[in-house]
Amino acid sequence: MKMDSSKILAVEDLVKYYGAGENLVRAVDHTSLQIERGAFTAIVGRSGSGKSTLLHLIGGLDRPDEGKVWIEGKDIFSLKDDRLAEFRRKKIGFIFQDYNLIPSLNVWENIVLPLGLDNRRVKREDVREVLEKIGLADKAETMPNALSGGQKQRTAIARALVTHPAIILADEPTGNLDSQTELEVMSLMKNCVEDFGQTLVMITHDETIAQMADRVIEIADGKVVSD
Amino acid sequence: MKMTTRIAFDNMKYHKSRNILIGIAIVLTTMLLFVVPTVGRGMVKLQYAVTDRLYPAWHALYRNVDEDTARKLAAHHDISKVGLRGDAGYMSLDEASVGLLYVDETGMELYKMELAEGDFPKQEDEIVVSPGILNELGQQGDIGDRITVPYQIDRGGGLDYTQQKEFRICGFFEDSETNHEKRMYTALISEAFLKNEIPEDEIAYRFLFQISDADRPTTDEIEDRIEDIAGQFGIPEDDININEEYLEANYVDPSMLPILVLLMVIIVLAGVITVYSIYYVSMNQRIQEFGRMKAIGATKRQVRQIVLREGLCIAAFAVPAGLLIGTFISRAVMKVFVNFKGPEESSIYMDTGREIFEAGEVSLWCWWVYLLAAAVTVCTVYFSLVRPMHVAAKVSEVEAMRMQNAGRKQKSRRKGFEFLTIARLTRRNLTENKKKSAVTILAMAVTGVFLMVVATVLACADPKESANSSIVGQYEISPIVERGNKEHPEREWSEIQKDNPLNETLKQQIEALPGVEKVDVFSTAKISGGTFTEEEGESLNGIPPEYASELEKGITKGKVTYEELKSGDKVILDRALLHWHPELDVGDKLNLTIRDGERTFEKEVEIAAIGNYGSGMTNYNYLIMAKEAVDRMSEYNSSKFFHVFADKDYDPALEKELMELVNASGRIQMQTWQDMFEQWNSFTPLTAGACYAFLGILAAISVMNLINTMINSVHVRKKELGMLQAIGMSDSQLMKMLQLEGLFYTAGTLVISVGLGSLAGYPVFLYARESGLMEIRNYHYPVTAAVAVSAVLLLLQIVLAVGIGRSVRKNTLIERIRFSE
Repeated sequence: MKMDSSKILAVEDLVKYYGAGENLVRAVDHTSLQIERGAFTAIVGRSGSGKSTLLHLIGGLDRPDEGKVWIEGKDIFSLKDDRLAEFRRKKIGFIFQDYNLIPSLNVWENIVLPLGLDNRRVKREDVREVLEKIGLADKAETMPNALSGGQKQRTAIARALVTHPAIILADEPTGNLDSQTELEVMSLMKNCVEDFGQTLVMITHDETIAQMADRVIEIADGKVVSD
Repeated sequence: MKMTTRIAFDNMKYHKSRNILIGIAIVLTTMLLFVVPTVGRGMVKLQYAVTDRLYPAWHALYRNVDEDTARKLAAHHDISKVGLRGDAGYMSLDEASVGLLYVDETGMELYKMELAEGDFPKQEDEIVVSPGILNELGQQGDIGDRITVPYQIDRGGGLDYTQQKEFRICGFFEDSETNHEKRMYTALISEAFLKNEIPEDEIAYRFLFQISDADRPTTDEIEDRIEDIAGQFGIPEDDININEEYLEANYVDPSMLPILVLLMVIIVLAGVITVYSIYYVSMNQRIQEFGRMKAIGATKRQVRQIVLREGLCIAAFAVPAGLLIGTFISRAVMKVFVNFKGPEESSIYMDTGREIFEAGEVSLWCWWVYLLAAAVTVCTVYFSLVRPMHVAAKVSEVEAMRMQNAGRKQKSRRKGFEFLTIARLTRRNLTENKKKSAVTILAMAVTGVFLMVVATVLACADPKESANSSIVGQYEISPIVERGNKEHPEREWSEIQKDNPLNETLKQQIEALPGVEKVDVFSTAKISGGTFTEEEGESLNGIPPEYASELEKGITKGKVTYEELKSGDKVILDRALLHWHPELDVGDKLNLTIRDGERTFEKEVEIAAIGNYGSGMTNYNYLIMAKEAVDRMSEYNSSKFFHVFADKDYDPALEKELMELVNASGRIQMQTWQDMFEQWNSFTPLTAGACYAFLGILAAISVMNLINTMINSVHVRKKELGMLQAIGMSDSQLMKMLQLEGLFYTAGTLVISVGLGSLAGYPVFLYARESGLMEIRNYHYPVTAAVAVSAVLLLLQIVLAVGIGRSVRKNTLIERIRFSE
């Protein structure tokens, strides 16, 4: 597949089924799409529509039954597991609904963790800048258990930003937050993406949140129904 | 089924992997708890059966009892069965030894002697012999035939001149293999013959008896009664001979019990530590589960019951399995013990044991051992569950529901690393769970330390060194000494001195043999007086100057140089003598009567020091002096031992040549290093094997712990690990992290086991050396054990990390990230 250089991500005829026979679930069913560099894209759909599976496939967390995913021109499923892990830590940033911070590490350590895994030097200033940006400059040594939900998610955002990935994938990042915090986190994400010039793909079931994106893709029964 | 039992049962199935580990630990514990008493009891029972077959049935005998006293003793109310034996002397034969005994009928029964045919001798000229005896006499005959017997009558400790008499054979004994092998036999003569040969007031009977055992007394009680009766009749302690083997075989010996109990306590401890720590380590993971139960209305008591019943459910499967495996293992272990080839002296004993065991005459299994093992295991499980039950019941429902890591206080801030590496990540996880890490390491290290201590003792019990300690040089040649045999007056030491076969010519002959490096001569002087009776046969041990430093090094109390020992006024006392003469101490003066040839003279010596020496050096003569001082005391040649040093420990050619010299002389005997070595060598591996097998199973129990901790730490963090992988941790990085964690446990266990075990081993070695256990003299670090422990731990850790890594990867990344239970 030929990929336009303005496109950072391309998905081609992706298929992922679970179960068999009567219990067959077509989580992702022959889906294709492309995402522009620097864009903020929201993928919306009801619960069970297959949007999370699609995101996981895009992030290389799971392998498809059929189809391909290109990130920056690289067919990610052509990579072996270890290489794929390396690719993930270099090119993809993840933000999860339930934050997924490592409980035994403090805020700073959680943020620099992907750099450590990649044996990259930590540029203190960069990390501090990110911390400032997310408003947790004074919480660098705080443990996750002492943070509020919003603070945890902001830490997760910082962790995704710090490696300067090609693309950030967010899976219902505000799903566990109250409406006030939800708004704060969303603006933070949008600002960061703009400030750092990064590409963000976010899945959500919340239409209002989706409206903040540059582009909204709707998924139903594993297929793109509107773009 | 009650709800709590139902839940407990379901829980057991749900937490399968952890419960399998607990199950294995319980199976192993049960098995050991069953095997130890079963084999212990089996060995004792077998020994008793052998003793019953081989040993006489009298409880004790009193020596030197006259006829009148014997009559009075027989009437004593504590004595149930009595027999009388009188020793007339020996047949006068060059090679074989044939005792002439008078034994009455009950005496025969108590000795388990049976006639193969014929009757007991009644007339003065009647005799019971055996085919072997006839053969030794070079005569033939049947019942009623007459034979001529040369004999020497035993008079007050020495044998009289040879006489001859014609006897009529009235009965026959059967010969045993031992009779033929050792050429030792017994012939039965009549009371009339005994009384005819020895004046009635000089006959010293042996009074054999059994204590009435209506109330099943213990061996200690029986022994007390035997000594008590002797006291009442003025029989001196030296004249009491208690048949301890028989008593032990037929009555309860109270000293057996503590050893078995101690072993079982050790097993129970290992079981409790393991099962407890498995629960402890997995408790955190289940806090939420118990919190939820309490939230929906379970009472503390119910939560406790659920934990307890879950444990008991596992025991219900594991205990029968352990008993079943134990049943097979105990038979196999017994078989190994029974088939062990022991030193030659005890081979009749071992052979009889093997025979009895193979014939199935000793039943190994008994219902109460099954019951005991099961009961003790259930108690073990209960004890291990007390604390987890308490912890589970204490869980606060709100805390547990709200927090992921409820029940554990966490810091809210902590200084961290500026950047992270895999090693630092590992360190974070371990320090975060300090207590859990410590419990795991300590539980494993306890067994490790124990293993190292035992290994130290076993390493010190080197058969080579034990042999070195039991004999000086490779061959030890000494004259044949015998006291009071009138037929062989030349065997009296006083006579040997005058014409000592250990002379310069023999020494030179030996030194000239190829392979001989040197011959060291030890001399001796017979002493009595002071605290030593004539019968003790104590001697002054004259050690040559080559052993000066060895002598001085062995001193444990007091101080003396070899130079001072040359004066002849000072001695070193071997500490073994303190066993018989505990009153002796450094500085004490001994007034000794020294016998040299026919001459005796008094000499006062001072105990200048007490030392600890091998039996090869002392030859059981515990007063040590310089050789030149001992030699000075004698007008004759007082050489007692030639210690021959050869270039090889075992050289059949040299041994043959030495044996030729020994046989040619006819007056000397030889002991070899090789014999000693073989004796020790056959004993040590069996002991070591049994110890290591026992420790190995203990170690296996505690290894369950490590497996649990590792699996648990991965299980609890499944989501966290998935998370780490989502943000880019590769499989190899994950494996490295798991391996590092395992390595930490392994290293911790190793450092404590090998470190503390090595340290603790030394005092135990000192104790073993002091108490003369297995002739241990030198400290040896148990290198093999240390290497084996390290290798097993490392290997185990690698296998575990690989296994766990594989089990983690069994789930897809997505499954792991979503995993929350």
